[in-house]
Formats: sequence, C-alpha cells, structure tokens
Amino acid sequence: MTGAHRRILVVEDDPETAGQLVEQLTTSGYDVDLAANGREALDRGAARDYAVITIDRMLPDIDGIAVMRQMRDDGIAVPFLIISALGEIDDRVRGLRAGGDDYLVKPFSFVELLARLEALGRRSETVAKETILRVGDLAIDLIARSASRGGRRIPLLPKEFQLLEYLVRNEGRVVSRAMLLQHVWDLHFDPSTNIIDVYVGRVRRKVDDQQAYPLIHTIRGIGYCLRAPG
Amino acid sequence: MLLAKTFRSTTFRLALIAIGTFGLIVSAIFAYVYWSTVSYVRSRSDRAIVTEQASLREVFARSGRDGLIALIDQRIADKSFADHVYMLSGPGAVVLAGNLKQWPDGATAAGWTEFRAAVPTLAAQDPLLRGLAATLPDGSRLLVGHDISDLDGFTARIRAAGIAVVVLILALAAVASIGVTRRTVARIESINATSRAIMLAGLDQRIPLRGSHDEWDRVAENLNLMLDRIESLMGDVKQVSDNIAHDLRTPLTRMRGRLEKAYHAPRDGEGDAALIGDTIADLDIVLAMFASLTRISEIETRARRGAFRTVNLVEIAGEVVELYDAAAERDSTRLDLAGDAEVLMTGDRDLLFDAIANLVDNAIKHGRAGGRVTVTCCNSADGAVIAVADDGPGIPADQHDRVFKRFYRLEQSRYTPGNGLGLSLVAAVASLHGAKIELRDNAPGLLVRLCFARSANGAPERRA
Repeated sequence: MTGAHRRILVVEDDPETAGQLVEQLTTSGYDVDLAANGREALDRGAARDYAVITIDRMLPDIDGIAVMRQMRDDGIAVPFLIISALGEIDDRVRGLRAGGDDYLVKPFSFVELLARLEALGRRSETVAKETILRVGDLAIDLIARSASRGGRRIPLLPKEFQLLEYLVRNEGRVVSRAMLLQHVWDLHFDPSTNIIDVYVGRVRRKVDDQQAYPLIHTIRGIGYCLRAPG
Repeated sequence: MLLAKTFRSTTFRLALIAIGTFGLIVSAIFAYVYWSTVSYVRSRSDRAIVTEQASLREVFARSGRDGLIALIDQRIADKSFADHVYMLSGPGAVVLAGNLKQWPDGATAAGWTEFRAAVPTLAAQDPLLRGLAATLPDGSRLLVGHDISDLDGFTARIRAAGIAVVVLILALAAVASIGVTRRTVARIESINATSRAIMLAGLDQRIPLRGSHDEWDRVAENLNLMLDRIESLMGDVKQVSDNIAHDLRTPLTRMRGRLEKAYHAPRDGEGDAALIGDTIADLDIVLAMFASLTRISEIETRARRGAFRTVNLVEIAGEVVELYDAAAERDSTRLDLAGDAEVLMTGDRDLLFDAIANLVDNAIKHGRAGGRVTVTCCNSADGAVIAVADDGPGIPADQHDRVFKRFYRLEQSRYTPGNGLGLSLVAAVASLHGAKIELRDNAPGLLVRLCFARSANGAPERRA
C-alpha cells in the first residue's frame, strides 16, 4: 500500500469506541482521522483521499447510510465499512445496497476489523489481470477452475476451489470465518457452528498434505491466512 | 354510574343523532300533509264561494238589484245553503239583504276576508267565516261567505294528531336508545373491568360470557383466546429468561473465576495470554448465543417478506450438503441429497439455508457416527417438502413438541456442543414461510419434514 492508502477515516460517535479504534488502528500502522458525526464525516471525506472509511450506522445528526449516499453522489469512490449495532439481516442488506462495501456487527473483534480493512484497502489498488494466480508452488487457474502444487493437480470441488481462490486473492492477509461465509457461500449470518473450520480443514488436507511446506495457516481466534514461507 | 356512562357513550350520542334526524323527517312529512290537506279543503271552499258569487252577479246583471235581493232571501231560506252567509249593502252601509247583521269590519270593498260574526241561521255561536266581497256596478257591495269553523276544527285535529305521533315516536326512540346503549355500555364495562383486573392482578382473569352467542360473546371469546395466547407466550418468555440466565451464568462464572484467580496470582506472560484467549473465546460463546436469540426473535417478529424470491429448494439443500460434506466425512457419516431435481418455492434463501443447515448439523451431530444422513427435496401435491433423516438414536415421541422451545436440550445431548437454539430457529423460519414441521420416527433415527404449503407463495400464513 502506498502512503496515502494507509489513511483511514473512522466515523464513530461513541468517544470510548472511537478512542479504542484510533489507538488500535494507529498501532497497526494506519494513519487515522476521526469524525464524531455525519457532518464532520462529509467535510473530511470531501477534503481528503482515504483508503477506507469506517462508518457507524447510528450517528447523532445524519444517518450513516445517508452520509454514505451523499459521498457516493459527490463522486467519492472510497470503500465503506459499515459498523452497526443493528444486526438484523434486512439492515445489513440495506447498508450494502446503499453503497457500503462491507459491514461488521457490533460487538466485533479488532482482528476481524483489521482483516476486513486490509481486504477493502486492497480492493482500491490495481486489480490483477492474470488468469493464473501463484503463491509459492501453488498455482490456480481461474479459467479452468483448477489448482496444482508443484505441477501436481489438486482435485477440488467447485466450492473448495472458490474458497482457495478467495484465500489466494487475499494472500498474506488474515481472512475471518465470517468473510469466508460471506464471499464463498454468500451467507450474511453466522451459522454458529465450527462448520467453516471443518470445511477449511478438508481443503487444507488436499492442498497441504505431503507437501514441502504448508500454505494455509490457522490464525487463532479469527480465521485463516494463506502465505508461502520466506 | 352506569347511567352517567350511558349518556357519555358513543352509542348513545349516535342514537341521539339518529333520533333527531328521524324526528325532523317525520315532522316535515306531517307538516307537508297538514299544509296540503288544509290548502286542498280551503281551495274547494273558495271555489264554491267564487262560483256562488258569480251566479249572484249574473242574476244582478239579468234581473237587477231586486232580483238579486229575492235570490239572496231564497238562498238564506234554502237548507242546502245553510253554511253560506250573504250580505248586500247599499250606499251608506244600508243592509239590503243577507243573514249578517252588518257589513263586517275590515272587509274591504273587494277581495277575500276572514271574520267572526253571529249568524242566526248557523248552528255555531260566533263562527269563523270567510267571504269574498265585490262591488256591483250600481255601487252596492256584495259579500258571499262560508262558515269555515269546521275546516278550522279539522286542521286543528290533524295538527294535534301529527304532534302526538311525533312526540310518541321520539319518546319511544329515546327509551329504545337508552336501553340499547345501557346494554352496550354494560358489556363494554365488563370487558373494561376485566382489563383493569388484569392490569392490577395478572393474566388469570377472563371476560365472562353471557352464552347468548351474539357478537358481544364473540368479542369476549376472541379476547379470552388472545389472553390465553398472551399467557402462554409470557410463560415461554419466562422460561426463556430462566434458561438464558442459566446458560449465560455458566460461561460467565467460568470467566469470573478465571479472572479472579489471575488477579490474585503474580503476572505471568504466557499464562496471562492463554487466560485472555480463553476468556475471549468464552465471551464469544455468550455473544453468539445472544446473536442467535436476537436472530430468532427477529425472524419470529418479521412481518414483511421483503427478501422472498422464487428459490430452488434443491439448490439450497445442495449447497448445505456441500458445506456439511466435510463435517460428515470427519464423522464417517454418509451425507446424501435425494429427491426431485427442481423444487421451486417462494422464500428467503438465507433463512432457508440457515434452517436446513441447522437440521443437517443436528442430524450429523446427534446421528450415529458412521451412519447415514439423507436430505430429500420433493414436490408434493400441497407444495415443496424437504426432509432430513438420520439413523441415530432419534427423539422420544413425548418430547417432539418440546425440542422447538428455546434452549431445550435432550438429556442425551446435554454434553454435545450446541446451545439448544437450532430447532427454535428452524421453527421460526418454518413459521415465517408458512411451513409445517413434522418429527417422525425414522426407525431407527429421526426424520424431520418441512412442508411448505403452496399458499406460502402468496398471502402470509397465520402463525401457528
């Protein structure tokens, strides 16, 4: 990421939550600006180029959704991460429809937030045009929908391929379970079982068993990360 | 108290308005009858006078004054002209002929006049007379009149009858409306009394029925049914809160104990990290439980079906089977999808996925390790059907109803992971889709069937 793209605008009215966010994001290497209400968010959003804007749905003056719409109308293309205490399904869908790029329901873990910010920030960078993606000795062919390691083909079911593709596209970044459910299964809720772990476990066996080094790593308490050693 | 309520009640006010309107219309009808009768009778009498006067004037023209005097005398003597009065007065008010003593006061030389005068030939004392005066060519004045006392009495009687009828109708209507209003107020008052008793004491009161099977009894019956439903829901809520308290206390107690122990112990980097990690994991369990609960109540109270689309049940079930394939493989359970290739229905894809996932999850978890789980989708005559069957220990028939309650867990599964909310969610999703849930003995194992009524494709179903 370039310097300008490490800058994040946090729109949050609760001072304690805002303080925690600013502190933790700063520690993680981001430059953080804070807006405590919708009007301030609009001013700052117009004045500067941000990598990502995180926005609370319930703001004291203007509704978070309205702020987002306004910025989109003003031609600001920055990705939005909606943070909401309203967890209802309809509400999430409304948030995404209004121009949000991703959402997070309170309470959330900070690692989850970080994972989503990384994924969103990357989106605004150049999109890879290659049809074959490589990580270490793993190659996945986006046209043939097939994967191989060291030239040896890995038999994958369609969903397993989709999951691996998502991990590869987010190479080196932490991907949470909820992100996998959302992007691979298009599920906007948590099935509250360890089903994802079991599923990833099987993909991992297919990809990593009897290989020189493992690619899929478990990140405790959050999810997974695909990366080559070194 | 009841009387005061009667007068304040809406029914009574409406009755008053109705009585007022009705009274006005009846009065107007009577006024019209009165006016048309009187004018008819009077115009007949007037025509007779005009005719008589014309014939007298003709006689005058033919036979002169003397001829006229003779005719007037003849008329006065004639019994059939008994109710007529005549007067012919010469210049200087000299009475030339007639049965009036003098030219009546106020009677002009020409035109209609009404007056009272004593007439010897008439039976009535001081009768009311109506006459038409005219001046003859020789300057004498002629008055032909009629006794209209009878007409006057007739109109007075019509008027009295009209007023009597109107008064009687109004009185009857007033009595009837007070009676009806009192009855209404009394029934409403009994409902109000029960409501107050419920607010004060609790939900065990019911509105008394009169056994008349009228609309009031039906209102009371429905309100009582509603109270029954509220009472049972309150019971559920209480049970749920007891269960939440119990299920939350366990992880919270664990966390508290852990933190307390760590607080009193010296700091130890590695141990602290593990402790914090465990505590976060426990907190996540609590948060997940809350999320499930709010999700269930959100589905249960969702009135709109905004996210409803035409979906292929087989496709959703296929995705679930694929997702759980790995979990089944781990338990060496065979997970299969069977049935029709396309089962279309109207529904919310996410919710259906969640419900089917819960059923499959349960079947794998509570079924037999190394057993078999089959998901079957098919089109039946009544609509889409999905069945999830396992060959595990099953659920005893007497507990079939209870497993849908929040936090309910069978004794045998107390120690398998889960929060006892899965089937509550399935029940909520089924209810939103107007589907019936059946639990059956799969001999061995459990068969859960969701039958989506075809009407679920349109109008909202009544919640069970």
